[in-house]
Amino acid sequence: MAFGVSRHSVAGIIGTLAFFGAWEALSRSGLVNNVMLPAPTTIVQSAWELLVTGELPRHLGASLLRAAIGFLGGSVLGVALGVAMAQSPLLHGTINPLVQMFRAVPSLAFVPLAIFWFGIGETSKIFLIAWGVFFPVWVNTYIGVRDVSPLLGRAAASLGAGGWRNFAYVVIPGALPFIIAGLRISLSVALVVLVAAELAGAAFGVGYLIQMSQQVFRVDQMFVGLIVLGGMGFAADLLFERAVHRLLPWYGAEQAGQKGSQIERASGRPITR
Amino acid sequence: MNARVEISSQTAVREPLITCVELGHVYDSGRGRATALGSISLTVDRGEFVCVLGPSGCGKTTLLNILAGFVIPAQGVVRVGGQAIKGPSSERGVVFQDYSLFPWLTAQANVEFGLRMAGRAARERAKIAHDLLGLVGLPDAGAKYPFELSGGMKQRIAIARALATRPSLLLMDEPFAALDAMTRSSLQAKLVEIHCQEQPTILFVTHNIAEALVLASRLIVMSPNPGRIVEDIRIDLPRPRRRTAPRFNELYERVARAIGLETAE
Repeated sequence: MAFGVSRHSVAGIIGTLAFFGAWEALSRSGLVNNVMLPAPTTIVQSAWELLVTGELPRHLGASLLRAAIGFLGGSVLGVALGVAMAQSPLLHGTINPLVQMFRAVPSLAFVPLAIFWFGIGETSKIFLIAWGVFFPVWVNTYIGVRDVSPLLGRAAASLGAGGWRNFAYVVIPGALPFIIAGLRISLSVALVVLVAAELAGAAFGVGYLIQMSQQVFRVDQMFVGLIVLGGMGFAADLLFERAVHRLLPWYGAEQAGQKGSQIERASGRPITR
Repeated sequence: MNARVEISSQTAVREPLITCVELGHVYDSGRGRATALGSISLTVDRGEFVCVLGPSGCGKTTLLNILAGFVIPAQGVVRVGGQAIKGPSSERGVVFQDYSLFPWLTAQANVEFGLRMAGRAARERAKIAHDLLGLVGLPDAGAKYPFELSGGMKQRIAIARALATRPSLLLMDEPFAALDAMTRSSLQAKLVEIHCQEQPTILFVTHNIAEALVLASRLIVMSPNPGRIVEDIRIDLPRPRRRTAPRFNELYERVARAIGLETAE
């Protein structure tokens, strides 16, 4: 078995090297315009230049800050409203049609409107990210809180945890797997909306870097932007997973067990609908 | 046949722990009303180990849920420790069939939960939890999460958790029904041992005749439509009980007949 795994990883390395080798060769061969398809080595060189001049860190910093504030704002609102709606049938009845209506509109479609309202500054970007993040977090929080096992609530009540303590010590931790699933989806949503907003108009940011590089025919720099965005998404997901594993050691195992299918169903909804 | 009221003029203090008078309950389902509990009168003394036995629909779980405070009875009076039941309370510990451990807490934190809610100091909680984990035979499982434990171990933790606040009454709702035969009989032995040591009053719901005969000091047999008590038997078999003893089989036959199993296995 171990032999098989190592053989797979060797194959993976060979495949990757072959891909980049072929790319490098194609760019240098003269068969294609190497401005349109710069060689991987050229891209690495451009990345290094952007890094040492401080340009790339500045763009990256601006993008990360927007993403973080928007993500935080959208998640806090999503959790708050999700919990409130699951707890109060009246509130749910009142605003559910509205939220469902807004949720049906792809968040990217709001980009022009947000720019019209808030300009191309930080406000419009943070608004758009928060908007996109809000819905998956809200849906999952709502389902999670609503579907917390009533038996656990009974168990807690018979141990002296009634009222708000039942809520704080049972409902919230019980809903946490769903909330985490929602947050994780929102992480990638935040990145998508961030780039869309930056492409539509900005003075800084990785999306802006790609946009500007296109205007001055620097395809190599466009590739640098793409790689940075890929790295951001990968790192964010990895950090999130690590943090969850560290803070909630029971979470992964629960997911693998009985609650797994529920989480997948719940977390699948915001994407598929 | 349904009440063994001990009335003694000089010891008026020794009133029964549980008193039910003409207790009845009806569930309103979508398709109509189902009488879960007819009119039950019953008293249970402190320290008794009562098994409530009967086929499904006989109201045994409804009775337990009323005593736990999860269900408000439609009619009748029920008092535990001289007080009317207003809702769930740590005075009445509950052990569920599906364990219902909090998956986000370690075994130790699960056992400490009721003590934490009662505002007891951390050191005291740890001490009590440690002792209880020892009592249920899992002294080294404190740091484990429920997902790391087998079904039998989970149920031991759940018993320890219910005992932590020293409830006057321990309610157990078919706690061993989901376990394999080996684990079940070892947990039955453990529960008998705990009852001997700690003398809690236990009301144990089951549909397994042999289990009831192994555990109980008193057996209440219920029958459905409407849920009512048909037998109330004091089980005076010496412990440890052997399932092969003639008296055991005699009682088995009697109970089987009472719940309508004419030909017992």
